Amino acid sequence: MLFCNVREVKRISVWDILVKYQSAFAGGLAVTFQLAIIVWLAGLCFGTVLGILGAKWKLAVGVPSQILSFILSGIPILVFLFWLHYPLQTMLGLVVDPFVTAAFTLAIINAIAVADVLRRVLSEFPEQYVTAGKVCGMSAWQILLHIQLPILLRQTVPVLLMIQVNMLQATLFASLISVPEIFRVAQQINAQIYKPVEIYTALGILFLAICLPLNGLALLLKSRFTRDFSEK
Amino acid sequence: MLKGVNLKKSFHGHNILNGVDLELEPGQISVIIGPSGSGKTTLLKVLAMLDLPESGSIHVDDWSMEFPISQGKKLQPPWPKVTVVFQQLFLWPHLTLRQNLTLPVVLLYGNEKQNSEKIEELVSLFDMSGFIDRYPNQASLGQRQRVALARALLLRPKYLLLDEITSSLDVEQVAIILTHLKKLAQSGIGILTVTHLLHFAQEAADRVVFMADGQIIEKGGKEVLINPMQERVKRFLSVIESAS
Repeated sequence: MLFCNVREVKRISVWDILVKYQSAFAGGLAVTFQLAIIVWLAGLCFGTVLGILGAKWKLAVGVPSQILSFILSGIPILVFLFWLHYPLQTMLGLVVDPFVTAAFTLAIINAIAVADVLRRVLSEFPEQYVTAGKVCGMSAWQILLHIQLPILLRQTVPVLLMIQVNMLQATLFASLISVPEIFRVAQQINAQIYKPVEIYTALGILFLAICLPLNGLALLLKSRFTRDFSEK
Repeated sequence: MLKGVNLKKSFHGHNILNGVDLELEPGQISVIIGPSGSGKTTLLKVLAMLDLPESGSIHVDDWSMEFPISQGKKLQPPWPKVTVVFQQLFLWPHLTLRQNLTLPVVLLYGNEKQNSEKIEELVSLFDMSGFIDRYPNQASLGQRQRVALARALLLRPKYLLLDEITSSLDVEQVAIILTHLKKLAQSGIGILTVTHLLHFAQEAADRVVFMADGQIIEKGGKEVLINPMQERVKRFLSVIESAS
């Protein structure tokens, strides 16, 4: 599918590229989504656990995860990915599938980002709202369900959604260690027909179609639920 | 009866409560007065078991608890039989003021018709209809104070502890709340209130407690406000009177 007659592709629009290479793009998108889903699930699950533990045991878990987050924030994703893929595997004498390396790297970054958000929100949760529930005779479960969770979800869901959109975009870096995701596919098509403007515009449109609704949802949730709570 | 016996509490080595004994009978309004930092709010928190004393005991009718709590014993405070309205109010910010009133009542007593009638009665009594569907941050401090007090009243407490709840109310609202507190006391609710308003104390109190330096310096009837025995109380009252 990637190999075409050069004369055929002289005049070709973005739409033509999307149609002509649809199966290649679909294959790339499938890999991108597989990677994103693994990164989302692993990051959200481990990040949630790490965030809760970090808020509960500040010294034992919270501070180390904060230090890790601080260090990781100073390392570009690409450098971290390359380091785990090339030098680390050489040092350990391992050969790991690039897809696994990419999923592992991005999941770590996602988990640390999610944990950061949750730890901060949980640590800063105003205890007086719980106290008010207690003196009103509410059980711990009722306080969690009716007071803590609604306030926490309003504060965290839009931010977490934005982080997940960023992680989806970060899956593009996996192409640089040969994971056959959508960016890699676009590069391969471009290598065959050399139409960078049309191909990367097509890629941009695909990402817009995926990311814009997610960003829109995050903004909607943010505007709907994260009101300014501060009192006069 | 709500009773605290020999309650002691310290913070960073500083004694906040230094062996306080206090009793509150059902149907009685006790008013705590005293200078800032005398331990009034801490005493309310300790009696409400939100802040546990280092030693002493708390008794609520047939329920009692010795402090420090012996190993294996679990603290199960009698909330909302004893409930508190704090100066900071602590209304839940994600709920409207009406939802702040209804949530605990519905969770405790179910969605009974008499609850919604009682809510409407309090909304009308405290003149809250104009703002009851706003969120807490859209209401003034005085409006929030009325809602916080109404929320506590809806829980059918037997002992109601109030921490400076009239601090942001105008004279008319203070008068309404005073009338309502007296009605509540007549219905058998014991009310313990901290206030800095001497005229409120004079109007409301069956018993007056003066606190300073974590101790009860003098307690008695309204005469404590008119003709105190202790020099410390006289000094405090004269400062207040000259300031007003």
